[in-house]
Amino acid sequence: MIKKIITLGLLLSSQIALADIAVIVNTANNTSVDEAVIKKLYLGKSKSFADGSSANPVNQDGNATFDEFNDKVIGKSSSQLNAHWSKLVFTGKGTPPKKLANDQAIIEFVSKNADAIGYIDASKVTDAVKVVGKY
Amino acid sequence: MKKSAIALAIALGTISFNSAAEIRINGFASIIGGQTLDSDDTLFGYDNDFDMENRSLFALQLAADLQDNLSATAQIVGRGANDFDAEFEWAYLTYTISDSAQISAGKMRIPFYRYSDFLDVGYAYRWIKPPQSVYNLSFSTYNGLSYIHNATLGQWDSTVQFALGSVDDDIIAITYSDEAELNNTVGANWTLSRDWFSMRMAYFATEASISAANSPELSGLLAGLAGYGLTQQAEDLAVEKDDAYFAAFGISIDYNDVLFDAEFTQFEVDDSILAKQQQYYASVGYRMDEWTVHLTYEHNKDKNANDEFNSVPLTITAPNGVTIPVTTDPTNPNAPYLQTLVNGALSDARAESETWSVGARYDFHPSAAFKVELNQFDNQLTDQKVELLSFGIDLVF
Repeated sequence: MIKKIITLGLLLSSQIALADIAVIVNTANNTSVDEAVIKKLYLGKSKSFADGSSANPVNQDGNATFDEFNDKVIGKSSSQLNAHWSKLVFTGKGTPPKKLANDQAIIEFVSKNADAIGYIDASKVTDAVKVVGKY
Repeated sequence: MKKSAIALAIALGTISFNSAAEIRINGFASIIGGQTLDSDDTLFGYDNDFDMENRSLFALQLAADLQDNLSATAQIVGRGANDFDAEFEWAYLTYTISDSAQISAGKMRIPFYRYSDFLDVGYAYRWIKPPQSVYNLSFSTYNGLSYIHNATLGQWDSTVQFALGSVDDDIIAITYSDEAELNNTVGANWTLSRDWFSMRMAYFATEASISAANSPELSGLLAGLAGYGLTQQAEDLAVEKDDAYFAAFGISIDYNDVLFDAEFTQFEVDDSILAKQQQYYASVGYRMDEWTVHLTYEHNKDKNANDEFNSVPLTITAPNGVTIPVTTDPTNPNAPYLQTLVNGALSDARAESETWSVGARYDFHPSAAFKVELNQFDNQLTDQKVELLSFGIDLVF
């Protein structure tokens, strides 16, 4: 019984520790952005949104939000993701999304670039950007 | 004064070039050590003495985004097997036509195999090197053009690549170093993938010429045949502007944490001493967090077709009606027949082997992996088995 309570406690605390991720685009962007589109953009399989307009994805720079996004949305570990990009980078087939330091930098970039897409800690969302999905 | 003005102009010029182009620097490296397990055995360049040079390499890639969809990329690789002498492995320009199409020109990798494009990037795959029975061609780059087109077909992602160009290199063919030219190399590969499954087909055709100069045996036979006026038989043996083709089919699965890869390849140079080659491998892997374990089986078979044998006559009839034996020395009744020697050369090109490999990859760092692998190569013609143990680190940066 005690064991069960401890397990439950651990489960809850690990849930709490993971903040939600909000995927954001420019407020002027009206295309539909689902998980499949996000995955393709962040894996270099596509360079445009569903309506054909070009997309400019940005990444967090190796922080906890970056790891969580990869785990929850892309479904790859950072090693797998590195291996994936090394196949594209060293064959001239793609360049990984640009990295920005933190949530604030991403909000700023997305709010200033109509073709941008990024992701941040969901609790940090502001009116300057539009949320297209929470994970 | 004049000199410094020129220097200044050059400096300014350089500065403006740099500001126009964003230059990205990436790199990868492999530090691999290995040795065979028995004293007289050799395999993949290793012998019984521990060696850390043979498969180690260090590479830097410089990519410059010029304006208007143009980019320039160079990859400089230093291989331990080559004393780490830095060489341009890739050097090409790419023009991005659209989001789904790009054309490149320059020195690039020949896209024969699934792993061809990133053959040297050990970090991108689970083995220390892709299965060597299949990945056995000793040349890997060409000069020419490449066109890549990406499309979505329903739920499937499709990538088609067309390549056109030539290879001019010293390769392992008749001996360990033969001057070779593959002209008018043209081919395509097509990859279809969906979720966890992908399949790939490739076909290339070329015109192969490989010099016999480094093989006294083959040069001697060719001269002997020519001496008897047997030019057709000499042409059937020499690799001189002969049609060649390469075909490949492969599948790849990455389902949950189960990995499966298989490739089948076939390669032939028509009308030549070189045997038709057929190879395949099948590999399973299982991923457990940072660890990946794998087991691979490979098979290789090289054989000249039966109808290539006995094409050299034992005797020819001279214009005066006299029968002359076709031997290395017509004045010596004990001299060997050229037919015997040519048959011998054709059957010497035969090879058959099996390789089993078991290994593990440990991703101990987001950009570096430790690998260990045991290969057992079984020469099925001599029944000789060779074991190789190797381990090392692959990284990208």
